[in-house]
Amino acid sequence: MRDVYINAAGAHLPGEAVGNDRMAAILGEIDDQSQRLGRLILRQNRIEQRYYAMNYRGEALDTNAGMAAKAARAAVDTSELDLSDIDYLATGTTQGDLLVPGHASAVHGALGTGPLEIASFQSVCASSMMAAKSAWMALKCGEAEAALVTGSEMSSRWFRPGFYRPALDRLGNRDTRMAAEFLRWTLSDGGGALVMQPRPRRRGPSFRVDWIKLVSLADRFDVCMHAGIAHEDRHEPVRCWSHNEAGPQGAAADGAIMLMQDMMLLKRIIRGWVGEYLALIDRGAIVPGDVDHVLCHYSAHSLREEIIKLMTAAGAMIDEEKWFTNLYTKGNTGSAAFFIMLEEFMARGGYRPGEKILCVVPESGRAVISFMMLTVEEA
Amino acid sequence: MLQDISKRRQELVEATFRGLAMAWTDFEGQLEQVPVIRKLNRGQLQIEDYRALLKNLRQQVVDGGCWIARAASHVDAEHFEIRSHFMKHAVTEHRDFQMLEANFIACGGTLEEIRSASKNMGSEALSAFMFHKASQPNPFGLLGAMFMIEGLGSRKAVEWGAAIKEQLGLEDHQVSFMLYHGEHDDDHLEELETHLAMTVHDEDDVQEVVRTARIVGRLYALQLEELNHV
Repeated sequence: MRDVYINAAGAHLPGEAVGNDRMAAILGEIDDQSQRLGRLILRQNRIEQRYYAMNYRGEALDTNAGMAAKAARAAVDTSELDLSDIDYLATGTTQGDLLVPGHASAVHGALGTGPLEIASFQSVCASSMMAAKSAWMALKCGEAEAALVTGSEMSSRWFRPGFYRPALDRLGNRDTRMAAEFLRWTLSDGGGALVMQPRPRRRGPSFRVDWIKLVSLADRFDVCMHAGIAHEDRHEPVRCWSHNEAGPQGAAADGAIMLMQDMMLLKRIIRGWVGEYLALIDRGAIVPGDVDHVLCHYSAHSLREEIIKLMTAAGAMIDEEKWFTNLYTKGNTGSAAFFIMLEEFMARGGYRPGEKILCVVPESGRAVISFMMLTVEEA
Repeated sequence: MLQDISKRRQELVEATFRGLAMAWTDFEGQLEQVPVIRKLNRGQLQIEDYRALLKNLRQQVVDGGCWIARAASHVDAEHFEIRSHFMKHAVTEHRDFQMLEANFIACGGTLEEIRSASKNMGSEALSAFMFHKASQPNPFGLLGAMFMIEGLGSRKAVEWGAAIKEQLGLEDHQVSFMLYHGEHDDDHLEELETHLAMTVHDEDDVQEVVRTARIVGRLYALQLEELNHV
C-alpha cells in the first residue's frame, strides 16, 4: 500500500467578513427573544466574524456546490497539479443544494473538469473526514492517482426568518428555542478542499496521512443535531418531514424544516468523544507527548473548554499552546471548517519536518468522532 | 533511581485514571440505552417510573454503607490511610437510603412498600459482587468501584434529579436523594490520585482497579435494566 499525502489545501469564504453586530441584518430578525439569545450564544461561542453567501436583501450569492468548487480550484491552484489531473472527487456536506441527486455530482458539474470518479458523503461536520478517508483509501490502494476532497456548507439558508415563522409557536419552550437559536448564531457558510496524492510535493511541505479513524456512537446516543423532523418528534423518525400528509408546507408548519441542536444531549456526547480519544491513547495510536500540533474542530469556545476539562481530568491533555484554530475569525462552517483550518495552518507555516499533527473532527449529529494523524514532510 | 520509581508510579496512576475515564464513558454509553434512562432523556418519564427507580435503587443503597465497611475491615495496617478513607466513605453513605425512602413517600409511595421490596436481579448481582470483592484482603480494586459510584452521585444523579424534577413538576424534597449527591462533588479526584499512588504498583494493579470499575458499571446498568424484575 502506498503512502498518501495532503499536498495542498484551499478555502473559499463568500463575500465580506460579517461582524456580530451585522449578523441579524443579513439573516433577518425573528423576534426580541431571538436577539437576546443571540447575544448570549455569541458570548459562549466567541466567534467574532463569519461569512455568508447571502446579501442584505436575503438573496443567495452562491450555492453550496459553487463554494465547494471554488475551494477545490483554490486547492488545485496551490498544488503541483492541473484540474485535469484529478481522477477522484469526494465531497462532504450537511445538506446539498438539491435533495436529489448527490452533492458530488453538483460539485463536479461546477468544476467542469473531465470524467472522474465521485463519492458523496452526507453527514454533518465529520462528512469532511469521511470524504478524506475515502480519498485516502482510494489513493492508498491504487484506485486513484490525484484526489480532490471538499467540505462545504451553505448553512445560512436555514436561518432566514421564513424557516422559523411557519412554526414559531413550536419554539415556545426555552430548551426548544435554544435548540434552534444555538445553530443560527453559530454556523456560517464556506468551502474547504484538499488535494491528496500518493506522493509528496516536489517542492514545499506535504502532510503525510498516517491514519484516519472514525467512530459512530449512534448505538447509544439519540439524535442530537437534526433537520427534517420537529424537535419534539425527533425520537420518532416515522414522523419525518417527507411523511407529512400535507406535504412540505405541512412539514414546515409542524416545525420539521428547522435546523436544531439538543444542547443537553451534546454535553453527554462530548464525554463519549473523549472516551474514544482515550481509547486511541490506550491502543498507542496517539501519544499525547509526541503530538506537536492539534487542529480540533469545535462549534463553540465553551465546548472547547468542556473538552479540555475532560482531557485534563483523564491526564490526557495536549498543551493548549499546540492548539490551532481559526473558528473565531472564519466561523463554524461545519464540514468545511476543518479544511479551512488546515488551509490556514498549512499556509502560515510554523511546523517542521517530522512533526505530528493531530486533527479531530467531532460531529454532534448523532455522536460521530473522527481523528486523523499527519506527519510533516519537506521535499 | 528514586526519581525513576516515582516517574513509573506516576505513569501507572495516569494509566489508571485513563482506564477509569474510559470505563466511565463506556458506562455512560450503556446508561443511554437503558429503557428508563432513555425515557428520562427523551422527556417521557412518568411518576410511576420514578417511584420504580427509587424502589429498585433502595435495596442496593442500603447495602452501600455495608460493603464499604466490610472492605475497610479487610485493609491491613500498612494501608491504614485507605482504611480510614473507606470508613469515612461508609459513614457518609450509610444514611442515604433514608433520604431515598422519604422521596418515595413524598411521591405517593408507602414505607412498607419500599422496605418490603426485593432486590431486582441486577441489584443482586451488583451487591453480591461488591461483598465478594470487599471480603478479599486489601480490596483496592474497589477504588475503581468507588470512582464509578461517586461519578454516579456527582454527575449522573444530579443530572437525572434535575430532569426528573422538571419533567414531573416535583419539589426539591421529592428528589433530594438525587440532587443532594451533586453537592458532594468535592475534590475526590485528588483524593483518589493519592490513594492510587499508594496502591498501584504494577500493571496488574492498574487492571484490577479498572476491571472492577468496568464490572461495577455493567452491573449498575443491569440493575436499572432489570427494573421490577425481582
